[in-house]
Amino acid sequence: MKQQWFQRTGLLLRVNARQNRVKLTAWLVALVMGMLVIAASFSQIYQTPAALAEIAKTLKTDAMVALFGPVATPVRQTVAAAFAMEMPVFTALILIVMNYQLAVGSAREDEDAGLLELVRAHGVGRLAPLLATALLLTGLNALIGGLLGSGLQLIDMPGATTSGNWVLALGLASTGWAFGMLSLVCAQLASSARGSLMLSYALLGGMYIGRMLTDLQNPQLTWWIPFGWVEKLGAYQAENWLPVGNYGLFGLLALGVALGLNARRDLGAGWLPPRLGRRRASVYLRGPVSLVGRLHRGSLVAWLLASLVLGGAYASVFNTIGDLAQSNPMIKQVLGTAGLAAANRVIVKNFLAILAIVLVVLAAIPALQIMLQLVSDEQKGYLHQLYATATGRWHVWASYTGWAVLTGSLVYLAGLLGMYLVGVQSMTDPLHWSTYWHIFTAYVPAMLVMIAVASLLTGWLPRWRALSWAWLAYAFFSMYLGKLIDLPRWAQRLTPFGFVDKVPVKAVNWATNVWFFGLTVLILMLAAVGYRRRDLAQ
Amino acid sequence: MTTPILKIANVQKNFGPVQALKKIDFEIYPGEVFGFIGPNGAGKSTTIRVLLGIIRASHGTATLFGQDVWRDSVAIHRRIAYVPGDVYLWPNLSGGEIIDLFLRLNGQTHSARTDELIQKFQLDPRKKARTYSKGNRQKVALIAAFSTDADFYIFDEPTSGLDPLNEQTFQDEVLQLKRRGKSVLLSSHILSEVEKMCDRIAIIRDGRIIETGTLAAMRHLTRTTVDVRTVQQLPELAAMAGVHGVQAHADANHVSFAVDADQLTAVMQYLSAHQLVSLTTAPPTLADLFMRYYAADGTRSVEGK
Repeated sequence: MKQQWFQRTGLLLRVNARQNRVKLTAWLVALVMGMLVIAASFSQIYQTPAALAEIAKTLKTDAMVALFGPVATPVRQTVAAAFAMEMPVFTALILIVMNYQLAVGSAREDEDAGLLELVRAHGVGRLAPLLATALLLTGLNALIGGLLGSGLQLIDMPGATTSGNWVLALGLASTGWAFGMLSLVCAQLASSARGSLMLSYALLGGMYIGRMLTDLQNPQLTWWIPFGWVEKLGAYQAENWLPVGNYGLFGLLALGVALGLNARRDLGAGWLPPRLGRRRASVYLRGPVSLVGRLHRGSLVAWLLASLVLGGAYASVFNTIGDLAQSNPMIKQVLGTAGLAAANRVIVKNFLAILAIVLVVLAAIPALQIMLQLVSDEQKGYLHQLYATATGRWHVWASYTGWAVLTGSLVYLAGLLGMYLVGVQSMTDPLHWSTYWHIFTAYVPAMLVMIAVASLLTGWLPRWRALSWAWLAYAFFSMYLGKLIDLPRWAQRLTPFGFVDKVPVKAVNWATNVWFFGLTVLILMLAAVGYRRRDLAQ
Repeated sequence: MTTPILKIANVQKNFGPVQALKKIDFEIYPGEVFGFIGPNGAGKSTTIRVLLGIIRASHGTATLFGQDVWRDSVAIHRRIAYVPGDVYLWPNLSGGEIIDLFLRLNGQTHSARTDELIQKFQLDPRKKARTYSKGNRQKVALIAAFSTDADFYIFDEPTSGLDPLNEQTFQDEVLQLKRRGKSVLLSSHILSEVEKMCDRIAIIRDGRIIETGTLAAMRHLTRTTVDVRTVQQLPELAAMAGVHGVQAHADANHVSFAVDADQLTAVMQYLSAHQLVSLTTAPPTLADLFMRYYAADGTRSVEGK
C-alpha cells in the first residue's frame, strides 16, 4: 500500500535537489547573507539611545504599522528589538516568494512539460513527486532557519537573547514553509504552473491587505490571518512561540490537502476543467502585437485589478495615518486648522513615497514577465513557426517590449488610481489627482530603464535573464527597507529607483527623467540589434 | 536547365567548438519534391533552420528564390510554408485560432480549403493547444501549411506523430502540391514515404551531404538482394567480387546474398552456369541504401560517386 503511494520519494528528492541546486544555493545564500548583513549593520544604524527612541516612535505611527505591523507596548528600546520589529513582514514576503517559485516550479512545471508523465511511468509512487517537493522545501526552510538562528547568535545584536534569536529565525522559516505548502495546494487546483502561481499570489495579496487593515483597526484580529502570525513573534520582547506552532499545523494541513487532491486528480489536469476555445481567430488577431496582447489578456486584467485593489487598500488607511490630532489633541490648537491639514498632508505624502515603490515594483513584475517571455516562448518553441512566416525579428521583439512597457505603466496607473479613488472617499482633506500623477511621471521612467535592461538581456545574454528578477528584488529591498536602515546612497542608487528623490514629498526631477528616457531609448536600440543578430534557440 | 529555387553551397554551422554542419551543398528545382534523409542528429533540422533564417550559417551561402536566407528572410517567408518536426503551440490558444494566425501572418486568409483540410485531417479546432497530443499539434501546423498558397514547402519530419490514415492524407496533399508545380523539401527518416514521393534525394551524415541524386541513380550504386537455388554447388560465390553477406539455407544449394550493381552481370553468369532452379531478386530499397551509408563500418561510402 505504502509502496503504491510513496515509492522512490527519496530518489526523486535527490534528483530534485540536484536539478535545482543552483537556484537553491542562490536563494539560500542571498537570503541568509542579506538578513545577517542587515542584522550586523543594525548596531551601526542605531548607535545611541536617542536613535532607538526615534525609531520606536516612528514604528508606532500608523503608516509604519500599515507597512511593518503593530508594535508591542511597552517597546523595549534595544537594537535587537528594532530589528525584530522592522524585519519580519518584509523578510516573510521574500521567503514566501522563494517558496512559491520553488514549489510551483518543481510541483507543476515538470508536469506541464510532460516530464512527470515519464517519471510516473516508472516504479514511482503516485504521491512521490509531490512529497519529494514538499520534503525539499522542508529541508531548505529548515536550513534557512538553522543558519539564520546560528548567524544571529554569532552576531549577537545588543539586546538579543538566545530564545529571541531562535524564535525569530524559526518563525520566519516556518512562515515561508507554510506558504510553500499552501502553494502546493494551489498547484493541485489550477491546471497550469502559471495558474497555480496566480492563485498563490492572489491569496498572499489578500492576506497582506487583510493584515494591514486588522493591524490598524484591532491587532487581535490579525490572529485570524495566517500571514499576520509572523508579526506576533515578538522576538526579544514578549517572545511567543505560538506562531511557529500555528505555521507548523497550517503547513501540515495544507500538505495533507495537497496530497489528497493530488491523489484524486488526473495527471496534467486541475480541478477547474479547461474550456473550449474559438473555432476561428477573432479579426483582431493579426500579427505579433495582437498575439502578445491576446496571450496576456487574462493576466493583464488580473494585474490591473490586483493593483487597483492594493492601492485602494493602502488609501483606506490614509485618514488614520494623516490624523495627527487623533494622537495629540493639542496639536490642532498649535497649528490651526489649515496648518494641521498641511501637516497631515505631509505625513500622508511621506507614506505615499514608500507606497509608490511598493506599487512600482509590483507593476514591474508583469512587465518583466512579458519581456522575458520573449526568451521562454522562444525556448519552448512557440516562436519557431512564427519566425518561418513573413514576420521579422524586430517586429516580434518590439511587440513583447511594447507590451511590457504598456503593461507596467497601466498596472502602475491602476494602483495610483485605486489610491486616488479610495483616498477621495476616506480622507477628510483628499489629495488632488496631480499628486498621484507626479508619482507616475517620476517612477515610470525609472521602470522603463529596468524593462529596457531586461530587453537587452533577451537580445544579448538570454541565459542571464534571471538577473532582471534579482535586480528588481534588490530594488524592492533597497527602497522599502533601505530608507529605514540608512542604506548608503550609492547602495540605493544601484537601481534606477534610487535616483527618484522622494516624490511626492519633493517635486519631480525632470532632468533625471530626460536622462532615463534617453537611456531607455539607447538600451532598447542595443537590445533590438542584439535580438536581430543572435541565433534563436534550437 | 532551369534555375534552382533553393541553392545551398558549402554551408557550415558551428556552435562554439561543435561543428554541427560541416559541408552542406544541394539544390532544389521548381516543381521538384526533394527528400532529405539522415539519422537523428545528422544536421537535417539545423540545415532547415539555417534556410529559415532562424540561425545564421557560419560559412557558405544559402539562397531561396535567389535571395539570401538570413538577410531577406521576411521577403522569402512570404512565399514559403513550413512544418517543424516538433510543433509547440501557445497553450492557451485554440487550434483554430493558431491556424488563422499563421495564415494571416503570411497575408493569407482562412478559406474553404482550410475547412476542407480541417475535415480531412479530422482536427477539432476548438480545443486549446494545451490539450492537443503531438499528432494533433502536427495537424495544426500541417493544415496551416497546406492551406497557405506558397511556392516552396518545407516539411521537417512532419508525420512522426500521425496515424496511418493521416499519413496517407499528408502524402496525398504533397502529391497534389507536386501536380500544381510547387517545390517541396521533405526531411524524413520514414523511408517508404520518401521513396513514394520524392524525385531526388540528399543523404546527410554527420553534418555532411554524402550523396545527392535520383533514387534510380542511387540504386545503381547499391546492392541487389538475390535468393537463388541451383543444381550444382556454388563454392566460389562467397569469394567473388561484389558479393556480400552470403547465407546458406537449410536445403541444399539454396543461398541468399547481396551483390553490388556493377558486378551483377558477372555474378549472374556464374549462377546460370550452375543451373538455376529458382531465382528471386529484390531491388535495393531506400532502407538498404540507408543502411549501407550508416552501417557501423560506414567508412566506405562516398567513393562510389
